Formats: sequence, C-alpha cells, structure tokens
Amino acid sequence: MAMTDTRPDDVAHDHHESRPSLASFDAALGSGDHKTTGRLWIGAGALMLAAALVVSLVAAIEHVDLGSLSMFDQEGQFVQIWSMGRILLLLGGLVPILIGIATFVVPLQVGASSLAFPRGAATAFWCWLVSTSLLIISYILNGGPAGGRTDYVVLWTLALGAMVLSVLWAMVCIATTIVGARAPGMDLDQVPVSAWSFFVFSLLGLFILPVVLGQLVLVYLDVKYGFLFDRSSRLSLLGIGDSLTLAPTLYWVGIPTLGIAIEAIAVHTGRPVRFHRSVMVALGGLGILSFGVDLLSYSSRGVAPVFDNGVLVVGLIVAALPVLAALALAGESLKTGSFRVRTPLVAGLLGGLVLLLAVVASILGTVWPIVTFIEDVFDTNVTLDSSFDLTATAFHEGIRALVMGAGVLGVIAGVHHWGHKIWGRSLDDRLGLLTTLTAAGGAIVWGIGGVVNGFLGEPALPIISNDVQDGVEALNGVMAAGAGLLAAAAVLLLLNIARTAFGGGSSNEPWQGVTLEWATASPPIAGNFATAPRVTSATPILDMVSNEVATTVSVDEEASEGVSA
Amino acid sequence: MTSNYQLLPAEIAAPEAARPRMLLLATAFVSLATTMGFASLIGLYVATRADVIRTGETWLPRGVTIPLTQPNMMMFTMVFSAATLAWAIQAMRNDDRANFYIASAVTLLLGFGFVSQSAYLLTIMELDIRSIDRAPLFFAVIGTHMAITVAAMAYLAGMTLRALGGNYNARDLEGIYGATMFWYTTVGLYLVVWFAVYITK
Repeated sequence: MAMTDTRPDDVAHDHHESRPSLASFDAALGSGDHKTTGRLWIGAGALMLAAALVVSLVAAIEHVDLGSLSMFDQEGQFVQIWSMGRILLLLGGLVPILIGIATFVVPLQVGASSLAFPRGAATAFWCWLVSTSLLIISYILNGGPAGGRTDYVVLWTLALGAMVLSVLWAMVCIATTIVGARAPGMDLDQVPVSAWSFFVFSLLGLFILPVVLGQLVLVYLDVKYGFLFDRSSRLSLLGIGDSLTLAPTLYWVGIPTLGIAIEAIAVHTGRPVRFHRSVMVALGGLGILSFGVDLLSYSSRGVAPVFDNGVLVVGLIVAALPVLAALALAGESLKTGSFRVRTPLVAGLLGGLVLLLAVVASILGTVWPIVTFIEDVFDTNVTLDSSFDLTATAFHEGIRALVMGAGVLGVIAGVHHWGHKIWGRSLDDRLGLLTTLTAAGGAIVWGIGGVVNGFLGEPALPIISNDVQDGVEALNGVMAAGAGLLAAAAVLLLLNIARTAFGGGSSNEPWQGVTLEWATASPPIAGNFATAPRVTSATPILDMVSNEVATTVSVDEEASEGVSA
Repeated sequence: MTSNYQLLPAEIAAPEAARPRMLLLATAFVSLATTMGFASLIGLYVATRADVIRTGETWLPRGVTIPLTQPNMMMFTMVFSAATLAWAIQAMRNDDRANFYIASAVTLLLGFGFVSQSAYLLTIMELDIRSIDRAPLFFAVIGTHMAITVAAMAYLAGMTLRALGGNYNARDLEGIYGATMFWYTTVGLYLVVWFAVYITK
C-alpha cells in the first residue's frame, strides 16, 4: 500500500473515539484521522471567523465618519485592519470551516473509510494554522497592504501564499475522495447533494486560488526588490485576491451553502431530495458560471474593469438562474414535507435566500454597462443617472457582505446539522436559532447598506474623504451595525461549538437522514463503517430499510407458506 | 472456499481494498491548479507587455538581450525528456526494471540540465531585477517554471525510489503515471514560456 494511503494510526486502537479535550492535543497533533482533522479545521476556523468579523466590525465603525480617523493614528493602519478583516473572513474563517465540514463529512457520505491522503490533509491544516498566525503577526508588525516595514510586507506575502497552498491541498484531498474513494456501486451522480457541492467548491478552488498565488509571486519580487517601497505604493496590495472577492467568482463560497441547505431541508422535512440530478446540475452550473464568466471576460479583454464587459454582464444575470433553480427544487421538499423549526433547516433556508439576494442585487450592477452598450452600438441618446456606474463603489462591499453572510449561515447550518455526528453531542438548538437570526439580520443589513451606498457613490476602498453625499455616513453606521450582528453571530457559534466539543449538549441522536453518514455511529467508529457499504441509489439508508422490510416480508411469507403446507 | 495454500487464518480480516487511481487523480487536480497559477502569471506578463508596447516603448529594456540558443536547447531538452519518460513507462509496462531505472535517470538528468540552462539564461540576459518595474515579471515567470520543474523532478525521483523499493510493476503503474502526468504538464507550460517570453520577446 502506498505511503500516502496509510490508514490513520488511531484506526488500530479502540473502536469508539473519545471527544476532543485539551489533554488529547498531542494525539490530535499527530493524528491522520479525517475526523480529528475536520474537527480541528472547524474549531480553528470558527475562532478565526469570530476574530475576522470583530476586526471587520472595528474597520466598519472607523469607516462611519469618513472625514477623519477616530481609532487609528494613520490611514495606513485603518487600511491594514480593513484588509485583515477581509482576508481572514474568507481564507481564515469561512473557507476553513467549510473545508472542516467537508473533511469530516465527505468520506462518511461517500462510504469511504478515510479521506484521500489523510496525513496530507492533516499537514494542510497545521500549515494553514501556522501561516494564518504569521499573517496576523505580519499585520501587527506593520506589514500587509499599506504596510510600512518591508520585511513584514514580505512576511505577509509569504504567509498568504502558504495559506492559499494549504487550502489548495485540503481541497485536492476532498475532491480526490469524492471522485476516487466512493463506496462500491455509488456513481458520481449518486453522491449526496452536499458532497457534490463540496466537490464543486473544491474544484472551483483549484481554478481560482492559484490565480492569487500567481499574483503573490510577482508581489513578493516587487516588494523584495523595491518597486513597492512605501505605504502608498503598497496600497496596491489590496488588489490581491480581488478576483476572489468580486461577483460572480465570489459565488463559489455560496455553493456549499446551497448544498448544505438542500441537504438540511431534505432531512428536516422528512422528504429526500426528489430531483437529485437536477439539483446537481444547478450547483455545477453555478460553479461553471461563477468561474467561467471571469475566465472569459479576462481572456477577452485582458485585465478589464469589472463591469465593463459584456460577458460579465450576461454571466451576472444568468448566474441567478442556478441559484433560483436549486432553491426551487429544494422547495419541493418544503412543500410536501413537514416543516420543523430547527437550526439547520432555518439557517440553510436563510443562507440560500441571502445568496439569492446577493445574486439578484448583483444584477443591478449590470444596468450601467448595458445602457452604455446600447448607447454605443445604436448611437441613441439614452441618459441614465451616473449613480448607476457602480464600478469602483461600495456596491461590491455590499454584495461581498451578502455572500459572506450566506456562507456564515451555511456554516451554521452545516455545523448544527452534523454536530452530533462530529462531536457525539448536539449543539444547542435554541442558541443556534438565535445565532441564525442574528447572522441573517447582520448579513442583510450590512449587505443592503453597502449596495445602497454604492448608488450614493461611496468609493470601494477605505479612504478618508470629506466629499461624500448625504446619507453615506448614516448608511455606514447601518453597515457597522450589520457587521456587529454578524460578529455577534460568529461569537455565539464559537461558544456553541466550544460548549459541545468540551462535553455539553445532548448525547441523543437528534435526527436521521437517508445518506450514508447516518448509517454509522455518532461519532463514527474508527474506519467509519463496520463493513464496506454497497450503494445502489442516492438514498442508501432508504434502500437498506426497504431491503430489510422486503427480507422480513419474504421470510414471513415463506413461514406462512410452510404452516399452510 | 478452502485452499491447501491458505497462509492466513480466516479470522484475520481481509485488508482494505486498494484504492485505484487516488494518486493519479490527485496529480490531475494538482496539475490543473499548477496550470491555472502559471496561466495567471503568463496572463499578467502578456497584458503588461501589451500595455508597454501600446505606449510606444520597447518591451525589453535597453541593453537586455534574450538569446534564442538557450531557450531552443531548453525546449529540445524538455521534449526529449518527455520521450525518455515515455521510454520509462514502456519499460515498466514490460516489467523491464533495468530499462525503467535508466530511462528515469536520464529524464531526471535532462530535468537538471533544463534547470541549469534556465539559471544560466537568466545570468546572460543581463537583466537586473531592480532596473525597471517590469523586470520582476521575467524572473517571476521563469523562476516559477523552474520551481515547478524541480517539483516534477522530486515527484519522479520519489516514484523511481519507490520502484527501486519494489513498488510498481506492469499491472500497477499509478505513481509513475502520476509523475509522468505532472512532468508533461511542466513540459507543456515550458512550451508556453518558450513562445510567450523567449520567441515573442
């Protein structure tokens, strides 16, 4: 057996795992078990998510008064805080938690005994943790965009590169597991919807994240050899990863939210996803659109302004269709099943709706280029208020807040849905509902505030300016309130996870699904399954139950025939 | 079914079924990511070059020349290494381990030759990285490709060492196929560099 396929060391030990504790830290450090790695990703990611949102809240509060600085001495410090919140939220919090859920759940869902390259996945986590810590240190020591100390700007570049590489390797492990480690009989179109969404998410990550790496290689040389020598020139580093944080590429973060939402809706309404393949096509379609549109627009125009591009306009409009389709298909379960108010269902549903809101709001950004196009081509005198030119405005911050909010809701849904499977104890559902409503409120308030501010002409970058329209600062206050709500939700989620991980919560299995992860114990036994599962459909648990019923019936029939004979 | 040749007692559980294609799949995903990252760098290079030429300037700074001898030799080296790797695979398919080791060693030697030539080319170009704002682009593109080549060499060396340790045979070539896939990705990327950087200048 290849070294890379080595089964986790703890497989050979006892069959039932204990819950994580500080005392088992040394065991976690050396473990290659995907369940331990998944828990580590989720725990550390939740901590970083809360930290990132608190930092974003500080930046949002500072941004309320655009004419002066209140908390910082220099504009550069404000920019650094703003940038730190932005990067940590995506690559420090949201993406790592999603990777953690996928690392834990995907092998169970596809009937595998472990993740592909389990030790590689564990290495990815530890590398990510070290590089994220170095990134934060580089910010503290005056590195990062607009940083004043060259050595720490270089450190920031290297740390961000290492973060991206770690996330990439974790995604390779997840994608490889889904394609190569499925249970016998399970075709790719029979994998659960959430596993499929994680596959699309990982595959898109392999397309999108290396672009950031390419940019970082160049930035490293530019900084190291003196081309970005002062704070103002280093402001350009804010553009790193822009492709990640603008629609439609940004939608890739929302794809697992949709997958988790649809899975949660199916379980908590008691109705399995009926149009399984159609949902998969919709999620795949969103993935293709979110990346393909950017690829086409860049290749056709070079490094083009974001909205000054026909391909992008069409893509932004069409991207709404798969989101609508996925939610409508999941709505069938809602319509025919019983609606039970539980955190995974409510969070998943709200996450899907917030993502839909983001996608629909993005279409507003296409009005200006469409009218400009009509004017150019048909030589008409169409006049449109220039407030529709949203190219470099806070509009994109609003869209970003909505998509990130949808991601946070997806994370809440996922952690609650599989909480018992992950920790052997359920997360507090009432606290979960409070977290969900707080997060949804925060995302909507923050997002809509940004979108409206975009129409009022607020610039996208955090700059000090006295030239602002009436209402912009008031809306900045609203955005800060939204950021505060989202930060509060992240802190509540962290507390709920910590409470459960250290022994709180009920040990009774709260619900059952029809996919393979529900066929094993909570938390799963070492090796995941006592016997290798054999799969014939997308609902293997239902098949197992119906086979048992059929066997019982045939045995009963044989017995009754014997009696009558 | 009982057998006279059964060596293990029945109560010992059967080993976990071997997972086919895992390494190959992972290599395919890594090759995809590598191609994307490199494509972004080449995209930046081409876009910047177009912008500079549009302003009426020449792309290469004054005093800098890119000779074609080395890039062409490097291209032949890479193409030849692809052929020697095909030889290695064919040898392993025939369980001809001696030929496999020779072919792998020749491929690694060609890879080393390629990296050496790249480093030499960077020195004779007389392009100081600090001289002009677009100079880092040359070093980023060429240096990244060198790093990818070194990674491909390490991968192939690892798989060759595993073959030396008794892994792989005519029926199981997964690791060698994986190393080959990544090597061919490296060769393909060099063809892009050869045209975009050295030929078009």
